[in-house]
Order: sequence, then C-alpha cells, then structure tokens
Amino acid sequence: MHTVEVSHVAKAFGQTKAVVDVSFELGQGEIFGLLGPNGAGKTTTIRMILDLFKPDSGTVSVLGGPMTEEKKNRIGYMPEERGLYQDVPLERCLLYMASLKGLSASEAGSRLAVLLERFDLADHKSKKVKALSKGMQQKAQIINTIVHRPELVIIDEPFAALDPINTQLVKQVMHELRDDGATILMSTHQMHQVEELSDRILLIDEGRDLLYGELDEIRRRYSGHAVLVRAVGRLPDVPGVKSAAPHNDAVKLALAEDMTPQEVLQSLVAQGVQVERFEIAVPTLDEIFIRVVSAQDRSRGAAVGDGA
Amino acid sequence: MSKTWRVALYEYKRNVFKRSFLFALLSIPLMIGFSVTLGLVMESLGKNTAPIGYVDQAGLFDDPVLPEVSPSDAVQFVAYNTEDDALAALEAGTLQAYYVVPADYFETSHIELKYLEEPWENATRQFYDFVQINLLSGQPLQVVRLATGETTISIRSADGSRFLPGGEVGLGMVLSPIIGFVFAFLLVMSSGYIMQAVADEKENRTMEVLVTSVSPAQLIGGKILGVVAVSLTQLLVWTTFAVLAIVIAGRGGLEPLMDLEVPWGPVLATLAIAVPTYVAATGLMAAIGATVTSVQEGQSVGGIFFVLHILPIYVVQMIVETPNAALPVALTFTPFTGLLTMSARQVFTTLPLWQIALAVGAQVVYAAGAVALASRAFRLGLLRYGQRLNLREFLGRRAS
Repeated sequence: MHTVEVSHVAKAFGQTKAVVDVSFELGQGEIFGLLGPNGAGKTTTIRMILDLFKPDSGTVSVLGGPMTEEKKNRIGYMPEERGLYQDVPLERCLLYMASLKGLSASEAGSRLAVLLERFDLADHKSKKVKALSKGMQQKAQIINTIVHRPELVIIDEPFAALDPINTQLVKQVMHELRDDGATILMSTHQMHQVEELSDRILLIDEGRDLLYGELDEIRRRYSGHAVLVRAVGRLPDVPGVKSAAPHNDAVKLALAEDMTPQEVLQSLVAQGVQVERFEIAVPTLDEIFIRVVSAQDRSRGAAVGDGA
Repeated sequence: MSKTWRVALYEYKRNVFKRSFLFALLSIPLMIGFSVTLGLVMESLGKNTAPIGYVDQAGLFDDPVLPEVSPSDAVQFVAYNTEDDALAALEAGTLQAYYVVPADYFETSHIELKYLEEPWENATRQFYDFVQINLLSGQPLQVVRLATGETTISIRSADGSRFLPGGEVGLGMVLSPIIGFVFAFLLVMSSGYIMQAVADEKENRTMEVLVTSVSPAQLIGGKILGVVAVSLTQLLVWTTFAVLAIVIAGRGGLEPLMDLEVPWGPVLATLAIAVPTYVAATGLMAAIGATVTSVQEGQSVGGIFFVLHILPIYVVQMIVETPNAALPVALTFTPFTGLLTMSARQVFTTLPLWQIALAVGAQVVYAAGAVALASRAFRLGLLRYGQRLNLREFLGRRAS
C-alpha cells in the first residue's frame, strides 16, 4: 500500500490552470522530492493531498484512502513561510498546535522539551515567535511539523534560512523519521539537498509531470554516453571519442555508440597517459532540471510559433 | 477534549490575559464605582439638617403641626418674630435658611426663601410639607395624609402582563434596553476582534497550518465559542459590579436605585435574543475575515454590518411613540436589528409572546446560517492569499 497516491489530478482557479495532470505515488518510509520551477503547481498539488483544495478531476489517496479528519493527526505539514502565531510565546504556540494534533498537554510538553533542546531553542521558548530569527522560526516550524510523530510529513522548503549546521541537523532528523517508517514529501528548489536525501523525485512544470522515478535511473537517463577524465598533461586522441570539452577541472569525452568507458580507459593507459580521475559523467539534478525545463520552454515556444 | 473545545479554550485564554482586555474589563466597573461613590459623596456632602427658620406674618403656623419625617433627616423649624432676628440667626450660622410668610400670603400664595448658601433640597421639601399640613389644619388626619402624601397611580395593562408602579418608566423598566445596548457594545467589540483575528491568521498563513489539524467547522466553532465565553466573562464581571453598585447605592440613599424592581420577563426575553444575535454577528465577522484580503479591508466591510446593528437608534422616536407600528415590529424580526428594537420596544409596550418567540427564532436561524456561512467562507477563502473571494465563487456548488 502506498502512503500517498495521486492520480491525474487537475485544479484550476478561474481561468488559471494551476495543475493540469499530475500523478505519482509515495511508498512508506521514503523521502520523495517534489521539484519544479516557481508556479509549477507544487503547492497546489500539496494542498490537494492535504485536502485543503478538492481536485477538479483525478483522485488523491492518503494513508490508504480519501483524506479524513482522523488522518490529520497522522500528518505533519510545514508550509513554505510562517504558519505560527507571531504574537505568542514560542512554547505556548507549539503546545497549542500539538494539542490540535491530539497530544495531551503533558505528552506535548515532554516531547517539546526534548525537541526544543535538540534544535537549540530551549532558551528562547518564552520569546514571542516574531522575536526569533528567521532560522529559529524555521526550526520552530519543523518542530511543529514533527512533534506528534506523523506517518506522513509534507514539508515545503525545509532548509530555507538554515545555516549549514542546522541544515545538517534537519537532514539527520529527516533520516531518523524515515528510519522510523515515516514518509516524507519534500518540496524544494535546493537540488543538492534533494540529491542527498531523496530516493525518488517528481519534476513538474506548468502543472504537468516532466520527470518521475528513481533518482539514479533519471541521472543515468540524462547522463548521455560520456566520461570525465583528468590526467597529467594534454589528452591524446582516443578512437571512438566523438568530442572532448573542458568540464570544471576535467575533460568530458562524448563516446561513440559502440565505445565503452572501459575501452576508453584502456586506450588512455595504453598510450601512457597518467590518469588522475576517471568517472562516468552523471549530470547533477540541477543540470537535469535546467535541461528538462528549458526543453519544455522551447517546445512551448515552438508550439506558440506554430500556432501563430 | 474535542478540538473545537481546544480552539475555544485557546482563544479564550489568549484574549482574557491580554492587557487591553483587562483594561476594558475593569474600566466599566471602575466607572460604575466612581459614579456611585461620587453620588454617595455628593449626597452626604449636600445633606444639611441645620434648622430652618420662618417668620410667619400671616398666622399660618399659629398652632404648628409638624410633618412626619425620618429622624435622621428631620429638620427643625424655628419661628422668628422678625426678619431681622431670622437674618441674624442665618448670619450666625444657626440656620441654613429661613422663610418669610408675608401677611398677604392667603391672597398671593407667595412665600420667600432666603439663604446664604443653597439649603439642602430635602429640607426645603420638608418645609413645603410643613406648609401643606398647616394649611389643612382642622381637617381629619386621613384627609391631611392623602392631601400631603403623593397619590400613587400605577398602570397595569388589561392582560395583566405589564405593570408600571407609580405610572412611570422606572430604572427597572429600562434594564432591558440597557442589556440590549451592552450586548450590542460587546458584539461590536468582540466580533470585530474575531474578524481581525481570522483575517490576520489568513494573512500570516497560520490558518493553512491550523486546517491541517482541525476542520474549518471546528476552527470557526471553537473561535466563536471562545469569543462568546470572553464576552460572557466580561458581562458577568460587569453585572456583578453593577448589582453590587445598585445595592450599595440603594442603601446609601441614591433614590433611583432604592426600590429597583427587575422586570424579569423583558430582561429574559432580551437575553434570549441577545445570545443568538451575538453568535450570528461573530460568525458573520469570521466569514468576512476569511474572505477579505487584509485586516484593513475586513474592518471596512465589517463596519457596514455594525451600522445595521445600530439602525434601530435612528427610528427610536417611532419606537417610543408607536412601538407597535409596522416598522418597529418588522425590525424586531430582522436579523441585524432585532436585538435593539425588541429590547427598546419592551419599555413602551407589552410584546405578545409570539413576537418574542418569532424574534428569538429568527435570530437562532440567522446564527446557524452565519456559522454555516463562516465555515464555507473558511473553506473557500482561507488559502486565497491576496485574493478576494467573489460572490459567484462563494455561491458555487463546490467548496473547493
């Protein structure tokens, strides 16, 4: 059984089509990256999962069926910005929010004490939320999202405003949640964080799926047929290499169809090249993102041109 | 504890411990306390039981008969043969004032009062009774009492449901509109608060997190309950202080409060219509808060509804003169105007039971509708940041 199943959902606000056709599934205990440029439909999709919006068409299944009031206690949600009472002391605000997730006052109090300590907010618990720094507010929001130990965590830009130490802390917490069986849907623009944390991703643009699946498989799909080589001195000509181009501190060699990376390495060694680094060229998620979204923009431009 | 109650409890605590609330809560009792204390102080400062002198040149008091007065308030009347003697006593401070009854009094019915400082009002009233009694000397005691005492004419309606002791609208009879106005005041204050709170929560995205924990109905229901509880606390504190003030002032001799009788029928009828009116206004303001784009816009829209609530003030003359005319009766059953119209009409007419029942019933229906409306507005409008919800969307089939 999947924790979340989204099937061909669409949602429009008046004439604006926020989501046109999006489908994906989340398995239990995975960290899933929901990616897309600004205005792609990520937040609307999340809100349909949370039943804040009803889809115009398509279906959403959460924790084994349609969303119900009872399931709300099993879900933790952190929107991209704010979401806490600004004029209320931090601890009182978190206690209230935790009580709405079904925790008793004593249970919420003891869990919050541990989390506030862990997130280094214990000394600030009596301060009003608006008196906290952006990073502290972000950590407070994360505490609010996980204090009731949800089975499904939906988190929008979890690393915004966090310094490297706190980013590391949040990653660690996310790993722990996953290890405990929680499913995490993370929406972010920080691709390197997704690469580090997520098992699978969905890239959407203009309300449609563009890329969906295992991260490694997607990388392979977009890797082309190339290797990265760094060597002492200039690289000689190698049979079966279509082109060579500098790539950071190495050279990227595009290979002919019938050439394998092993054959390239053997050829270089045979020619006495002192190889310092040799690896299959795998694109970063950033590169894939830009390539896919740019291609989508080009095809849209072409369609508009044809139409005109 | 259900989530609705948790929301209610939170809203209650959040408001009750605010400095502005405590200030508003205590300001009215302090004002009442100040007024009563001032009244009692003025009463005691003005009291003067020093003798009153008189110079009787008409022979009115040849064989003086004294009026019956409570011993603590009784003023002694001292006869002087000449005005010079009376004036000397006045200047010596022996008298607070003296009267001159001229020789032609029986022709002119004119008496002069002379004083250095204005005498105690009660003392002059006693002298007036003194004159009346002595004018009637020789009449049977019963006649004297009837002539000098006030003849009381009470008014009772034909069906016996309405009774005005003394034939006047006393303080007791205006309790009903006072309660109506207090509720209207609370309604304007606290429903304005809930509208602002909802608009604020929507603006700062707290609402988005809240509705992933509770349903819109639980949220709006809890908020309304919390705010109603806050206002009832306010009302309870104010009522307690008011009752205490009335008792203290009554015992202290402040006349309008000495024999206050509460007309429970009109008071209970006013309370019965006030509570649903309050809930309805609160629900409506929450709905406005959920649909507007900013707190400021909400205040502008909410202002229109406040004006509707106080509309009866503009037809108060008609309510006083013809409380059973078509317009006052119609306003009694109208959602916004029912509370003030009904509470004011009860002073000047006896409302048939069916009118009270219909007015209260209309407000209950209105309150249920307002809460349902607020719930729908929450659902539709809470995530429309920076966008106003238009009527077409609001009346659309799906709450999405």
